[in-house]
Amino acid sequence: MNRIVGIFSILILAASIAFAQGKGEVLIKNATVLTASKGTLTGTDILIRDGKIARIGKGLTAGSGAKVIDATGKFVSPGIIDAHSHSMLSAINEGSLAVTSMTRTRDMLDPNDITIYRALAGGVTSALLLHGSANPIGGQSTTVKFKWGHPVEDYPIADAPLGIKFALGENVKRSSFNPQPGQTFRYPRTRMGTMEVIRDAFRRARDYKQAWDDYRAKKTKVPPRVDEELQPLVEILEGKRLVHCHGYRSDEHLNILRIAEEFGFKVGTLQHGLEAYKIAPEIAKHGAGVSIFTDSWSYKLEAYDAIPYNAYILWKNGVTVSINSDSDERMRRLNLDAAKVMKYGGVPEEDALKMITLNPAKQLGIDKRTGSVEVGKDGDLVIWSEHPFSPYSHPEITMIEGEVYFDRAADIAKRSDLAKEREALEKLDVNRAPGAGGGPPQRPTERRAEERDEAEHGDGGNR
Amino acid sequence: MKSKLVLYAFAAIGLLFGVSVSAQSYAITNAKIVTVSGATIEKGTVVVRDGLIESVGPDARVPADAQVFDGTGLTVYPGFTDAFSNLGLAAPARPTTGGGPGGGGGGQAAAAAAAAQAPSSNSNYPAGLRPEYSTIDDVRAGESQFDANRNAGFTTALSVGRERIFNGQSALIDLAGDSVSEMTVKSPVAMHISFSTIPGQYPGSLLGTFSALRQMFNDARRLDELNKMYAANPKGMKRPEADKSLEALIPVLNRQMTVVFNANQENEIARALDLAKEYNLKAIIAGGQEADKFINRLKSQDVAVLLSLNFPKRTAAANPDADPESLETLRFRANVPKVAGKLAAAGVKFAFQSGGATSVNDFFTSINRSTENGLSKDAAVRAMTLAPAEIFGVSDRMGSVEAGKIANLTVVKGDLFANQRTITHVFVDGKLFEPKAPEPPAGRGPGGRGPQRTDGAASESNGGPANVGGTYSISIQTPDGGITGSLNIVQTGSTLTGTMTTDLGSVPLRDGRVTANGMSFAGTVSVGGQSIDFTVQAAVSGNQLSGSVTSAMGSMPMTGTKNP
Repeated sequence: MNRIVGIFSILILAASIAFAQGKGEVLIKNATVLTASKGTLTGTDILIRDGKIARIGKGLTAGSGAKVIDATGKFVSPGIIDAHSHSMLSAINEGSLAVTSMTRTRDMLDPNDITIYRALAGGVTSALLLHGSANPIGGQSTTVKFKWGHPVEDYPIADAPLGIKFALGENVKRSSFNPQPGQTFRYPRTRMGTMEVIRDAFRRARDYKQAWDDYRAKKTKVPPRVDEELQPLVEILEGKRLVHCHGYRSDEHLNILRIAEEFGFKVGTLQHGLEAYKIAPEIAKHGAGVSIFTDSWSYKLEAYDAIPYNAYILWKNGVTVSINSDSDERMRRLNLDAAKVMKYGGVPEEDALKMITLNPAKQLGIDKRTGSVEVGKDGDLVIWSEHPFSPYSHPEITMIEGEVYFDRAADIAKRSDLAKEREALEKLDVNRAPGAGGGPPQRPTERRAEERDEAEHGDGGNR
Repeated sequence: MKSKLVLYAFAAIGLLFGVSVSAQSYAITNAKIVTVSGATIEKGTVVVRDGLIESVGPDARVPADAQVFDGTGLTVYPGFTDAFSNLGLAAPARPTTGGGPGGGGGGQAAAAAAAAQAPSSNSNYPAGLRPEYSTIDDVRAGESQFDANRNAGFTTALSVGRERIFNGQSALIDLAGDSVSEMTVKSPVAMHISFSTIPGQYPGSLLGTFSALRQMFNDARRLDELNKMYAANPKGMKRPEADKSLEALIPVLNRQMTVVFNANQENEIARALDLAKEYNLKAIIAGGQEADKFINRLKSQDVAVLLSLNFPKRTAAANPDADPESLETLRFRANVPKVAGKLAAAGVKFAFQSGGATSVNDFFTSINRSTENGLSKDAAVRAMTLAPAEIFGVSDRMGSVEAGKIANLTVVKGDLFANQRTITHVFVDGKLFEPKAPEPPAGRGPGGRGPQRTDGAASESNGGPANVGGTYSISIQTPDGGITGSLNIVQTGSTLTGTMTTDLGSVPLRDGRVTANGMSFAGTVSVGGQSIDFTVQAAVSGNQLSGSVTSAMGSMPMTGTKNP
C-alpha cells in the first residue's frame, strides 16, 4: 500500500514538474477561437505541445498525459499584450537628469507585485515595461511575459528586441517643477529644449561610436570607456533598439519622427499619441506604430484634442495601432477598450482584437512568437466565458506557453484555504498588533511605495 | 660605558615590565569546552597567555603562574562575533541617504545638507558614491563603549556604517583595547554597498543607483587596464587620470576584495546576485531574511549570508478601519525564523548579525527562535563564532577554541540557549572581563550605541522617562503620496527638542515631551508661503515609530525607524 502511494506521488511530482516547464501537451476542446489573424473558428480544438501551438482543427486528440480542457461554449483569444505598462517596477523614473538611457527597468522588476496576477485575471500575458516620462530620453524598457510564481529571471522575453522610453512635452518640462532655494531648474524646460537634448544626445552617441570604431580599427591606442548612457543610443542608431516615445501633441510627434529620419532610424511606437489622427499619413509613411488609449481625454491640457475616433482614423491610414493601459487597474479591462473601437468608427472585430494582441506584438517585435492563435506560436491563450468584447465576459483560464497562470475555478476554490492560512498567520505573535488605536488606514496606492513619480502623478494619473 | 649600562638597565626594566603585563596567564579548569572546530571537550582546561590560547584539552597543563578559575558548571565558547554592526562608530548627525523622490526637485535641500555634512574629499564622485571611504578611520578608541556587548559575550564585530550607496570598507574589530590599532583584527574586510539613492541628484532613484554602479565598475575596469598599459610603457600615452574612487574598486573587480550587499528582501537579494554575476564579484549578502528563496543561486555563486537577527514583527497598532496586512507580509514574518535552519540544511555559509536591533537580547531571542525552527544548536554557535571568521578570512587566527588562536573566549554558566544566560567571563585578546550583574533589561544593542530603552516597561522599572532620543528615518502618508524625511530628537529628561526634516524643509520642534508609549511634539511648516501648524503623536516600540501628523488639513499616518 505504502509503495503504491509512493509510486503514485512520484508520478504526480513528475507530472507537475513537466507541466511547470511548459512540457507536455494541453488540448483545448471545442472552443470558438478568435485567432486575431485568420478569422474566427467555431467548434475548434487547439493542441499545445511543449509550450507551442502544435495543431488547430476539429476532433484533435492528444497523448494520454495531456491536460484536456473542455471549452464548449467558451471563446479562446490570444493572450492580451499591453504595450505601455509600469507594473512590477520598484522604481519608474530617474528624474535627476535629462538623459537617463543608462537606466534599465530590468533592474527594477518585482515578481511579487500582485498586479501581475490581476493582469493575468484580465487575460494579459505580455507587457512592455517602460521607464517614466520625466526625461526626453528615459530608461531602457523590458518586454516580459507575466509568469507569476516564477523567479524574476523568467519574466523577460529573451529574444524580444531591446527598447527604450523617450518622452516629449508636459511631463518632461515639469520634471524640474519645484526646485528648492539655491537649486536650478533641470534643463530642458521647453518643448524646443527637449528636442535639443535628444539631438545633442545622438550627436554624442555618434562620436562615441566613432571612438570605438577607431579603436577597433587600431587607429587609436587607448580603449574608450564603456558608456552606459551612450551605448543604448548607439543601439538605436544601429536599428537594434526600439524607441517608444511618449507624447501628446502632433507637432511634437512629427518632430521626433523628423529627428529619427535625420539620424537614420525608425521610431518603434508613438506612445499615447492622442493627436496622432491629425498626422496619420505622416506616421504611416515613417512606419512607426501608435499605442493609444481608446477614449480617455481632457485629463490634462495636452489631452484636450483627443477623440475616440483616433484608433479608427489611424487604422484607416494603415498604421499599426495598439491600445494600452498605462495602468495597473485598466490593464485588466483592455478587452473592453478594444471593443470600443468597434463603436467609434466601426473598426471590424478582428482588427479591433488585433489592437490588444497581434498589433502590440508587432510593435514590440515579438509577433513571431505570440499575438495570434497560429501553429508554431507560443501557447499564450485566454479562455473567456463569453466573447471578450462582451462586458459580461471574464477570463476563465489564462495560459502562457501552455502553462496555466490563472484559473478562475482554482482561484475560487483556493480562497477558503487562503482565509484559513491568514487566520493562522494573524494569530502569531509577530503578526499581532501591539495594542489598539492605530492611525487611519493608508490610502490604497496604485503604485509601489518606492515610486514617487511626481511628473506622472501631477497629471492626476499615470498616463 | 656608563651610558651603555644605563641602557641595559632600562632594557631590563622594560623586559620585566613587559613580562608582568603581557604574559598574564589564565587557566579555566574542569570546564566544558565547545571548540567549534573540533569535538566538544566535556571536561577540560583552556590556558590563555599573552593574548593567545596557549593550550586546550582534557589534560592541558595549568602553568604555575596562571590565575586559575574552576570551570565546573561552566562552558567555554569561542568569543561571539556580531558579523555586521556599527560598533565603535559615531552616530551620523543625520541620515545622508534614503529612498528619495525619483523625479523633480524634491529632496534637493536634503541632498544639499547631506553634501554639506559629507567629509570633504577631492573625489570626482558625490558623497554617496565614494568606495574609498574606510570605516576604520572613523572607529573610536576605548573599550568602555563596548561594555554592554562584551557583557553579553561578544568579543568581535564587523563594523561599517550604512549611510550612502557605498557604505565604505568595513573593519573587523575586537571589542577591547585602548587604541584602534589594538582593536583592529582586519581592515579592510570588504566593500559594502546599499541599494539607496542620493536624493535630489543622480542617482535619485534605484534605477539610477544600478546604472551609476555599473558605470563606476566599467570605468574602474578601464582604469586598471590603462594603468597597466602605462606602467608597461608610458611613452606616447597620456597618463591615466588618478582617481581614488575608481582605484578603490579595482580590487573588487579583481575579486581580491569581497562586496557585501545590504539585501534583506527577495528583490534586493535577486538584484545583488545579478549584479555580482554581471561583474563576476565575490559577494556576500547582509540581511538575507529571504535568502532561503535563493538557495541554489547562493550555492552556485558561492555567496555567504550575514543573516540579520533583527526579526520583523508588526509594529503598527490595530485599527478597525485599516485594511488587513498583505498575506505576503504575514508570511514573511512567520518564515524568517526558519531561514537559518534552511540555509544550514542546504549548506549555505552564513553568520549571525544584529541587524541594527536595539536590544542585545534580541540577538539571543532570535537565535532561540531559529533553533526552535530547524536550526541545530551547534550550527547556531558556529554562526556566531567560526562561520564569521571563515567568511571574513580570519579563521586561521580566530573563531574556535584552538591552541595558538587569538584568546577570544566567552564563558557561560548553565545553558547558552536558556532565556536567562549568565556570562561569567569574557576574554578579548587575552584580556579578562568579568560581567558583574545580569544584563540590564534593555542594554545597548549589539549594533546600537548609547543607552536605548526598548519599551515603556523598561522605563517604568527604572522610574525615569523612556529614552526616545535619536535620529529616525520617517515616512508620512499624505493624500498626494508618501513623503520621507528624518526626525532628530534630543531628549533632556522628559523634554524633547530637535528638528523634523522633509521635502518641506527642516523645522524645529516645540512642546516636545515623552509620553506613556512614545512621544509628542508640534511644529510649523511653510507650504507655498503659508504656515501650517502641526502636532505629532507617535508610539515608539523598539526601533519602530508609528503615529500620526495632525494639522488643519487632517491627520496623516507617520511611521519611522530609528537609525542604528
